Amino acid sequence: MVADGARVAARALVYAVVGGVALITIATVGSVLGPMLALDIATPAMAAWWTVFTAIAVQGMPFLLLGTVVSAAIGAFVPERVFKRVLPKNPALAVPVAGAAGVVLPGCECASVPVADSLMRRGVAPAAALAFLLSAPAINPVVLVATSIAFPGNPAMVGARLVASLAAAVVMGWLWVRFGREEWLPARRTGGAGAAGLGGWPGFRDGLQHDFLHAGGFLVVGAAAAATFNILVPRSVLDLFTDSPWLSVLLLAVLAVVLCVCSEADAFVAASLTGFSPTARLAFMVVGPMVDLKLIALQAGTFGRAFAVRFSAVTWVVAVVSSGVVGWWLL
Amino acid sequence: MNDVSDVDSGKGRTRVRLRLGPQGVLLILCGAALLRIALFSELYLRYVKEGLRPYLVVSGVVLIVLGVVGMVRRDHEDERSEAHDHHEPGDEWSDGHDQPEHGDERTDGHDQHEHGDERTDGHDLPEHVGHDHTRNPRIAWLLTAPALALLLFPPPALGSYSAEREEARVAAQGTGTFPKLPAGDPVDLTVGAFASRAEWDTGASLKGRTVRLTGFVTRDDGGVWYVARLLVACCAADVQALKVEIRGADAPAADTWVTVTGTWRPTGKPGSEAARPVLDAASVQRISAPSDPYEKR
Repeated sequence: MVADGARVAARALVYAVVGGVALITIATVGSVLGPMLALDIATPAMAAWWTVFTAIAVQGMPFLLLGTVVSAAIGAFVPERVFKRVLPKNPALAVPVAGAAGVVLPGCECASVPVADSLMRRGVAPAAALAFLLSAPAINPVVLVATSIAFPGNPAMVGARLVASLAAAVVMGWLWVRFGREEWLPARRTGGAGAAGLGGWPGFRDGLQHDFLHAGGFLVVGAAAAATFNILVPRSVLDLFTDSPWLSVLLLAVLAVVLCVCSEADAFVAASLTGFSPTARLAFMVVGPMVDLKLIALQAGTFGRAFAVRFSAVTWVVAVVSSGVVGWWLL
Repeated sequence: MNDVSDVDSGKGRTRVRLRLGPQGVLLILCGAALLRIALFSELYLRYVKEGLRPYLVVSGVVLIVLGVVGMVRRDHEDERSEAHDHHEPGDEWSDGHDQPEHGDERTDGHDQHEHGDERTDGHDLPEHVGHDHTRNPRIAWLLTAPALALLLFPPPALGSYSAEREEARVAAQGTGTFPKLPAGDPVDLTVGAFASRAEWDTGASLKGRTVRLTGFVTRDDGGVWYVARLLVACCAADVQALKVEIRGADAPAADTWVTVTGTWRPTGKPGSEAARPVLDAASVQRISAPSDPYEKR
């Protein structure tokens, strides 16, 4: 065993040295040649695209890692019966409970997709897991505090965001109970394969590695799409459309999808859109955490494309209606 | 299987191996990129707000540990998957679902669940699942784009290109009096503080004071130039521009970082459209770009 350890250590050392030297060489050559090449090909727009693209990826990594750690931990350590005991048997009742449970995951939308996935694998009813998926990024304390900071002296906005997001999530859960079909989700979800899966640390490690890389790839796709729209659509164009109140709600709801601002930051962006009605800004904050390009990419990767397209389209409509009603009522 | 190198280092039952697979490499690459920008430099400030630094560092360390742990595995965990790899005869479930090309581990997971039901040997199953998970999802290769960009050519901070496209906005806080400016001649102000006082302060607290602003040069089509800063709430995807018009000095090249010393020029009643932030410059000094390019909210 000692000899084994020594051999592995020696081998690791060789890898580290060879890899390190290679990396340093590439980095040196790259950092000398790179700026020369980059300056020639980069237009300001291209440079801005790279910056926004990298920023979204960097910003999403810690939250994605948090989400995959939680989901791998659920998969490896939490037995199925725990969820059976905690959640009501009837899916229609489990939906609001799961939606309200979104309060406990302090992160943005990147974290919620892998967690919802592992909940389904642990036998949680898809409707309940989807309600959790939608509500978690919008109603957790971090996001609500950010909202109250962005709208000082306007607690109604925080309340409206909480109510509208929770309502949209629960309605989506119920819609799934009534109309959802199992075949829209990948087959594994219904087989309860988690029961036969590997538990404990090896399962946690492998699940974490795999889920992070898988979701990370889709995060990169989403970041590229978001950066493209971010560069193509200057926000100042919006000032042209603020006359009609209904149009402005729809416009900001579309903007939330294409800009992919993280749910922890979208309140600040919404607060800066001063030309719009409070209801339109509420729609921006309700739709953003539930439907955006980055999320659609993540969902397509996790649950399949057929699901992501249907689910995102319906969620968008429900979220817009919900924020319209709540905005009319509270704001 | 995704081994690039796979060498035995012992003969006992608990042999230890080091394997260099794409999964580990990708994880270490991502981790290294995060540590490079957040731990070994302040480059992360070009992309995200300051408060995310600890999370970035922790994520970087976790990813590297995860990648290294994935490379060092005890051999008995691998025996099953190796047999699987080499299509050993008599291994009835090695066929039919060993199709890495299709890359969809989801269907594999399903298959393997069924096979798991068929098999009675409870010991083999977990290793097989473990192996299934060690396959590298193809989409993960996309992670190399941001990771290598950060390691080799970190993209620059956003500058005048973004500032020109964004309408300058100061949060609409409503008119009122502001607290007295701190002592100092000149007094250092952020572009945001100067702009909001210029637009909203009925007490005219800027009057008669010499102020110093720091920002980058942005020009517009009419020949007017501004000292601008970008405001970041969370990451560079949500920047908003802040600009102060500079009069009485020639414009340096766009994106040059400058400190401008001068006095406030009132342009209209506070709170009205006409009230814009304008500074009569007494001196303009070039400086090097700060490590923290964005203004905090």
